[in-house]
Amino acid sequence: MFTSGLLWLPYTQRGKVQTKIARRFSQNSDSRCNKMHQPLSLFHKWIQENNELVNKWKEQEGGDTLTRDQNQNHTCLVWHSSEFHKLCRKIQGIAPIADHTQLELTVVYNAGVCLIAQSQFLEAESLLTKATERILQMTGDGPFASDPPVFWKTALKSVGNTALNRCVMHLLCLQWAIWLATCKLQTIQELQNELLSVFETLSSGVWDEEGSAPRTKSSDIALPVMDQRRLIELLQICTFIAQGAERLSEGRSSEALSGLQSASSLPAPRTLISYTHLLSGSCLAHMSRPQMALQCYRMALETDSQCVCALYQSMLIYRQLGNTQAEIQALRLLHSTLMLPAAKEPSPAGVHLLPSSLLLQSQSLSSLLSVPSALSVLHSLALKCVLHERVAEGVEYYLDLLAALHSEDQHGVHAAGPPLPKLPELYLQAGAALLMARRPADCMALCDEVITTTLELLPGKVVLKEPEECEAETRALCEEVEDGVGMLLWVGAAYLLQGHCHTHLRDWKQAVTTYTRCFNLLVKVRFKKRGCQPQIPSADMMSMQGTDLCILQRLKGLSLAGRGISFTQTDQLREALRDLQLSIQAFPGAGLWCGEVLWRLGRKQEAVACWERTWSFTPHFSELSLAVYLQEPQSGPLLDSTELRRRIEELSPI
Amino acid sequence: MEGRCAVETWAEFGFSGTPCAPWLQVAFGTDVLLFAGTDEVFVFSSHERKLTAVIACPGPVTDLVESHDKRFLFVACACRVYRVSSQLLESRAGSPPADAHRGPAELKLTSEFLAFAEEGVLSLLLVGSVLLTLSQRRSSWTLTLYGSSDYEVLRSVSLASGVVHNETGTRRRPPLTCVRSSGATPPPSASSSVSDGCLCLEPILFKRLFGIDAALAKSPVVLCGLPDGRLCFLPLRPPGSRLAVLHSLEQPVVFVGASGVTDNGRGHARCLVAVGEQGKVVLIQAEKGGAEGGADRTGFTEGCVPGPVACGCVDEKRLYYSTGSDLLVLDLPEESPERDGPSVEKSRVTHAALQSPSSLNVCRVLALAPPTRSTAEEVELLGLSARGQLQRITLPVDRGDAGWPNAPSTPGGRGVRDLLSAIGDVCERAAALKAAVKSKNQILRRLNQVLNICFLLAADTNTGERDKPIGCRATASWSRLLEEDSLTLTCVLDNSSPYVLERGWTLSVAASPMSGPPAAGGQSPSAHFSFPFHGLHPGETLEVSLPLAAAGQSSLPVTASCSLSFSLAGLLGEEAAALPGLQPGCVSLPLNTLTVDWLHALRVTSPAHGKAPPQSGNTSDAVQAFLRSRRMGCGGAAEAGGERGRHAASVRVSAESLRDARALRASEADAPPDVGLSLLEWLLSEALGGVSAGRRRGDGNALRSSVVHGRDPSGHPVKLTAKEVEVAEGTRGEEEETTPTAVEVQVESSSVAAVCGLHHAVLTRIQALLQTAPEPAASKRRTQSAGPRNALRRAERLLQRIQQSRVSGAFGVGVSTGTVCQSLLSVYQELRENPLIVI
Repeated sequence: MFTSGLLWLPYTQRGKVQTKIARRFSQNSDSRCNKMHQPLSLFHKWIQENNELVNKWKEQEGGDTLTRDQNQNHTCLVWHSSEFHKLCRKIQGIAPIADHTQLELTVVYNAGVCLIAQSQFLEAESLLTKATERILQMTGDGPFASDPPVFWKTALKSVGNTALNRCVMHLLCLQWAIWLATCKLQTIQELQNELLSVFETLSSGVWDEEGSAPRTKSSDIALPVMDQRRLIELLQICTFIAQGAERLSEGRSSEALSGLQSASSLPAPRTLISYTHLLSGSCLAHMSRPQMALQCYRMALETDSQCVCALYQSMLIYRQLGNTQAEIQALRLLHSTLMLPAAKEPSPAGVHLLPSSLLLQSQSLSSLLSVPSALSVLHSLALKCVLHERVAEGVEYYLDLLAALHSEDQHGVHAAGPPLPKLPELYLQAGAALLMARRPADCMALCDEVITTTLELLPGKVVLKEPEECEAETRALCEEVEDGVGMLLWVGAAYLLQGHCHTHLRDWKQAVTTYTRCFNLLVKVRFKKRGCQPQIPSADMMSMQGTDLCILQRLKGLSLAGRGISFTQTDQLREALRDLQLSIQAFPGAGLWCGEVLWRLGRKQEAVACWERTWSFTPHFSELSLAVYLQEPQSGPLLDSTELRRRIEELSPI
Repeated sequence: MEGRCAVETWAEFGFSGTPCAPWLQVAFGTDVLLFAGTDEVFVFSSHERKLTAVIACPGPVTDLVESHDKRFLFVACACRVYRVSSQLLESRAGSPPADAHRGPAELKLTSEFLAFAEEGVLSLLLVGSVLLTLSQRRSSWTLTLYGSSDYEVLRSVSLASGVVHNETGTRRRPPLTCVRSSGATPPPSASSSVSDGCLCLEPILFKRLFGIDAALAKSPVVLCGLPDGRLCFLPLRPPGSRLAVLHSLEQPVVFVGASGVTDNGRGHARCLVAVGEQGKVVLIQAEKGGAEGGADRTGFTEGCVPGPVACGCVDEKRLYYSTGSDLLVLDLPEESPERDGPSVEKSRVTHAALQSPSSLNVCRVLALAPPTRSTAEEVELLGLSARGQLQRITLPVDRGDAGWPNAPSTPGGRGVRDLLSAIGDVCERAAALKAAVKSKNQILRRLNQVLNICFLLAADTNTGERDKPIGCRATASWSRLLEEDSLTLTCVLDNSSPYVLERGWTLSVAASPMSGPPAAGGQSPSAHFSFPFHGLHPGETLEVSLPLAAAGQSSLPVTASCSLSFSLAGLLGEEAAALPGLQPGCVSLPLNTLTVDWLHALRVTSPAHGKAPPQSGNTSDAVQAFLRSRRMGCGGAAEAGGERGRHAASVRVSAESLRDARALRASEADAPPDVGLSLLEWLLSEALGGVSAGRRRGDGNALRSSVVHGRDPSGHPVKLTAKEVEVAEGTRGEEEETTPTAVEVQVESSSVAAVCGLHHAVLTRIQALLQTAPEPAASKRRTQSAGPRNALRRAERLLQRIQQSRVSGAFGVGVSTGTVCQSLLSVYQELRENPLIVI
């Protein structure tokens, strides 16, 4: 081919030379065409070559669902891409001739689709622009603006209403896809009107009949590798979705909503339609219309049962509304959906090449569509159940979770989202749940596990720094390396739970031993205030909840209270009183038992005062916000408040 | 280490020179699987000591792994992973049991064995029911987890690839191993007897290194030593664990293992060992801080052994590694059970231990299988040598161990066998060394000879060319080959030195015309001839022939410079090539220079002893001569001076001085003292400057007449005449003194070239002849005569004319080149016609 020889020429010169050659050449081919049909003209050869490639691809695509080999698929795509390119270069080797332009643009379209499918957007863009420029040179229009929107506007205008219009529009569609995939929504916005008209023209389908009418043989038409009508429909809805997500993240919810609602009636794959409903729901949720949002989520789910995100978002709404039962229900559904093997929905033919995921890559959308992993959902479910009086269920979920963590099955890990808590934490939660479900032996086993694993790693001396300091320096580090304090608190909590178990089993002696172990461990922690020497934190140093210090104090209080109660049961009232009085400062709930001991010791007035004080005390944080294993044990000996009040009443008349 | 290693070669596989490091692995109980970057996996039965099967793969094999139940083998090659059933292999290998001498079975891996396809798989590992692949894709390392039954991708973790410091250039399999905490038992699903291929690690070390989550989840942890030097780990549980970097060796990791196993292998290892390609050894141990307050930590002890490390393996206490030239063993520091000594001191001990590996004297091991202990408590290693030998290396029982008392009790026969095979290995090494020493001695001896000859010849250049102990002489002769006459110079190299010219010397002759048109490069065209020869003992001669010129194409006189050269590169051979910076040089020693002149090339047609001048056999010669003379006549229109186109030149020599010349005196004894005749004879026969004319050979007759007819190389007839003439002394003073006689040698020919050439030759010879004459005692008489004076005057006038024409030629004014030529020619003719007198 003479193309290769001409490549070094500057473009304009090349054009001239090519024109000459082409003239000679086209005469040749014409005459050949007219005289004898046997050796096909190059024009027909090219069409044939293009169509063969397209058919080959479609064949391969048809079998694609059966093969799961991604690599092979990719190699095939690369091969097709390079073949289309070769063909394209061959055709562009001669000057643009009106007869060939349709063929040429179809081949460029095919090559462009392949490039975009490989995410080579820059290459695709330059291919499209060059090809369009070349065609427009034929119509004799002058230099073109480098600014893409202006360029395409002029291109569309200069093609006018000729037969080329349609071909140029197809190329514009590809450019549109590139903008969409590279999240250049601003550019799309600028060209909105043109794109809309392109959409209307192409999707109306009137042209199709017009265009194909004069053609007689199918071999005369160069086939597109991807149906252009499907492409434009896909582009239209994806644009709506991407714009909606963008506006939503910018806080322009109502604006987003209108676009999305109009998009939901477009012809499109189910998944995309469900996305429009989902995003509408999110808009409504932002506009504080939770019920309507729920409605939208429901529609999204009805459209596409695989839309787990809708489930997740509904769950969040229920959580927001405080509807715990519904939330648990949603979590359960969400978990079971996530555990289902992802059924691959057969996408309509011709959309394989450019999946919607390729076109929808914006950050805001992916954050809206993200769903936590199945394990994380299972954990929330278990915790919710335990905290909301569905302990038996919760225990089951916890056990499921632990089993999943021990299995080699790696399902449901890929999803992003909040990471699971550390394993010892989960063990302790599960242990607490087991204890609530009155399975102290199982709880003890879990705690044993935590203790044996962690105990030998505990450092001899732990310094707890002031939260601000810790925040700045070690937070990041704490995430990675199990810091000493964290491990110590786990072991402490494990001892505490074991103490509770012994209490539950009425093994007071063992309970005292275990609580003592817990307490002894906890006093190792020195608290370091800025500028001061490390010291043992005093009980009144109440701190923000959730911090290590708060947990430490809580553990101390609970372990002392537990030991005090155990002492009470063995009638060691003196020791009991000492422990309980110490514990009150960190854990006011011990006040009732303190009063009880005082009462038994005959210090009835003090006991009454103690009880009154306890009842009047309002905790300055919710118990629910604490870890489940740090909550007041519900098993074990309990004091009946009515009984206590009766005693007070009995006492007061005297 | 005391004692010797017993090396037993089991088989030899012919792979060498593959860029991929070979690998061997014990599988199916007793089989050994080997591959070395080729398309084959060899299955060697250590029971039967023979190759039982070859698995032919569609591409270079990168790794293989055996399933825990020993039923399958996964083979990674060419972007694919295949699964081969061991039963199939066995059935292929053992199908006709009758024939014991059958070759190995061959199993070709086709697509029916395909498990899954993955690009760039470097290593495989099977952990429980998970098959892991480590692959390199573009710029990242990827660990992919597959279910080992359905090959479903469970997970894929990537790590950006670092800079790979691969200095040796060998492609090797990145070590991929699995460790688990010893407290953690394998999942109950697997039967307890089947190990899942994990190393057991001390729990505290495990927790420190891999975290509490992995420990609580009783997870196996995949350890992977990357070629970029990083040691990475990935806990398989809990799900979602990340791939993290444990340490960086900063050189490709060759080996990762665990050592310090207690309780006879069933316990746990206390130490992780990683070895880098350049010899960096990292020991990872749990260290307890001091009793008071010191923080516990994980100790990373780094040391360096002399590398490069080709492969390694580890047992309870020792690290075995091969540098390719030797197999070494390194005692890993054993820790005291309480492990709380002062840590500084301990680390020093560790460092010291890491620096003193001891040699096992086994060379060229490139791959090692993990050591096993035989019943006699000997450590046995399986190794693969660079030449593809599968070797079993039995280590001597360590004295410090419990083994020493057992050592004498080993069966005698076995000891002897081991000893013999060890000797065999040592013998092989010794033979190789011996050969090397021998060849070096040989080279030195030859170099010595070369130097002797160099000094000999170099010393002679100072004393003069006359009597070189090594020199060349030559004979010029006309030979007729394929209807073409050509002048051949036969050179004879004469070694009269006491040294032998050995193989490697080359005689070089460069023949270049003395005068002649300069070639394009400004150098005179010369022909080089070299003749390598195989040794020339003292007193021996070497005769070589070289063509000087074909008839009519000669440009005489020709000088032939002879030299001897010696190529050092040829002597040192490959060693010189291997030596950096040494230019493979060549010693060149000039011998002597021979001159072939017109007289040598003169073909005498009538040796004036009465015979008719022999007709030249070919008439075309005469025709050619005729044509040539015609052409000459046409070309030289200006030279109309000579009668019938004949030119002549003559030389007169005083007969007296000729008589004095020694060379002629010899002939005087038996021949009449006809000076002219003897001069002519001498001129035609004498070997001037070592060159003689070959025409007289076999022709013993002396000249009878003082006229010799001949032809010059171009075929022109030439006449040489020698006669005694009386020198005319002019008009006055004749009476007083006897007329001095002179011998006039006249050269006549139709060709100017021949006349000039012969004249020049005759002159040169007479000069040489007169030099041999004894110095006259005193000037017998004063030749104060007019003759010489006239001659002198004439010469001066001619000189003036020459200068004039040169000046005008140089300035190019007024005079055309034609006139310059004309005047020069006339000068020349005048010079020739008035014969020069040599007194």
